[in-house]
Amino acid sequence: MALLTSAERATERTRRPIQAPPTRPRRAPGRRVSASVVYHVLMIVASVIWLIPALWMVSLALTPNSMLATKTSGLIPPAVTLENFLGVFQVGLTPQWFLNSIIVSVVTTVLTVFLCAMAGYAFAKIDFPGKVLVYASVLAGLMIPKEAMFIPLFTMFADMDLHNSYPALILPRLAAPLGVFLMTQFFSKVPHEVEEAARIDGAGPWRTFFSIMLPLARPSMIALGIFTFVQTWNDYLWPLVSATKREMFTITTGLASLQGNFAQATELGSLMARGVMGSLPLLIIFVLFQRHLIRGIALTSGDK
Amino acid sequence: MARSARQARTGLKHGLMFTAPFLIVYLVFILYPLLQAAFMSLHDWDLLGYTREWIGLENYVRMFWGTEMIWSLGNLVIWRVLILAGVVWLLIRPIQRRSISAGRASLVIGGALLAVVMGFHPGDGGMWNDPNFWVSLKNTLFFTVVSTPIIAGLGLLMALSLQGKRRGRGLYQMAFFLPYVLPVSVVTLVWSYFFSPDRGLLAPFLALFGIGKIAWLSDPNFAMAGIIITTIWWTVGFNLVLFSAGLQDIDETLYEAASLDGAGRLHKFWHITLPGLKHVLVLVAVTQIIASFQVFGQVNIMTGGGPGGATRVMIQHIYETGFSNLELGYASALSLFLFALMLIVSILQFKVFGRER
Repeated sequence: MALLTSAERATERTRRPIQAPPTRPRRAPGRRVSASVVYHVLMIVASVIWLIPALWMVSLALTPNSMLATKTSGLIPPAVTLENFLGVFQVGLTPQWFLNSIIVSVVTTVLTVFLCAMAGYAFAKIDFPGKVLVYASVLAGLMIPKEAMFIPLFTMFADMDLHNSYPALILPRLAAPLGVFLMTQFFSKVPHEVEEAARIDGAGPWRTFFSIMLPLARPSMIALGIFTFVQTWNDYLWPLVSATKREMFTITTGLASLQGNFAQATELGSLMARGVMGSLPLLIIFVLFQRHLIRGIALTSGDK
Repeated sequence: MARSARQARTGLKHGLMFTAPFLIVYLVFILYPLLQAAFMSLHDWDLLGYTREWIGLENYVRMFWGTEMIWSLGNLVIWRVLILAGVVWLLIRPIQRRSISAGRASLVIGGALLAVVMGFHPGDGGMWNDPNFWVSLKNTLFFTVVSTPIIAGLGLLMALSLQGKRRGRGLYQMAFFLPYVLPVSVVTLVWSYFFSPDRGLLAPFLALFGIGKIAWLSDPNFAMAGIIITTIWWTVGFNLVLFSAGLQDIDETLYEAASLDGAGRLHKFWHITLPGLKHVLVLVAVTQIIASFQVFGQVNIMTGGGPGGATRVMIQHIYETGFSNLELGYASALSLFLFALMLIVSILQFKVFGRER
């Protein structure tokens, strides 16, 4: 065997599967079934354990507050009530915070995706002097942590007297070099002929962009959009700094403000119900667009 | 000639039209704040705008210096020896080859300087100008060093358990990934109670193993562990996705060939999977380190930096300097220091990626 040259070994590799078509090693069918049963049992147990904190939150939210005063350490609610969930929309500012989060996240997402698509199209498809330099400076922006620069942003918005407003919550989020990078990557893969055909048909750059390029880019835009939405909904530091009036809180900062106040501990059920409601849009998006979100994350890892 | 000049002009016009909206927000909300921070860091600048006085580098002196400062060989000696060992390791190859790249040279010089500078510390009767800065820096580094390998390792383990085209794979991935979409305040809400010694779920579970009640978030010895566990649960899913994408890119025929050669699982993992994941590993490490340097939400909500500063981190320190002490000038200097730390990590990343190309 040791004398076998690498070339011989290579031919053997290609030949063997032809001689023995089933690539998996042959086992008794019973053993294979039991191995896969073991795998699934293990994975189900692992998944359930992993989700216990989240399941517990739902369970507490469904339990009447009076019962939680005596016992909280069970996973299955002793009695089920929807009172906590109904209370979310009757007591306190939670509905307002929810609305704020919706407005901020939707507007931010739409504008970010649009700005990034426009810039990405230009960087990929339009030749203009200085393009390389400008694009390089945008990529350099990937290294600037927005989170850490909240002090100068704060003074900027204070000077414009814009704190506690939607524009203050939305504007700083719009500058997303990562989004431009993703869209440029996408548009540069669109064959040149597509654009050429549009130009021959007499379409100007705006029409080419809106009626040909944007529809082509839909999958990438959805991935970027979902990613942006989740990030914006979960943003904590900037809303904490900028929106200091209670009625301008987002759901993320609002829920955080409730936790500091441990008097709420007597109303654990309604607190947990607020937590569930605050995560609901994200959970719905997650279930509906899981693939896009995951693709978005995988794209960000692309060959940067 | 005339035609191409005209083309260039229309190109410029369209190029500007399409990029302008983004470039404006980019200039105003990313580049300008950076310059503004540098400008503010040279001032005594209070939040309410009553004082704006040029004080030169005083904020930086306040950050890095103290009273009765002395230099001694024994200060932080273990860490300094480790850094010097790293420097020596970086020098082995250049000495053999008798040539050194500019990047490596600056790394060597930087490391050596750092090892020297770390000898400074306050002597008898002296103290740091801002002890909280050092506490928060130490806590941030500790958080980063402990959480990064665990998160990366667990993410990789999960991705490996989901490798291949098995039925139900999507559902399991969903379960592991789900916490990542929750807002930070929901995660902290659940975990604050989950950890609670009297009302939580964890205490009765630990009691099965004879572990007594631990006041996770109010015991200085356990508070950081509590924050790290919470962070792991919240963010592992993100890394799972990165690793899964990386695993899919590995050529399957490599595994088949190895199987035919009689390679075992461990062998395949070591010689096919890990090398194939190299760039994902670097990416995960860097994104984790950069995210960890900016950890704030979990800490601020769960412990507020306490007990006794045990979980105080950099962003927390910046936030409190700015908004509790109203010292925006000094807070800007702190932000720039954090930015510099992250920039170094990013540049190292580009170096590593660059070398692979």
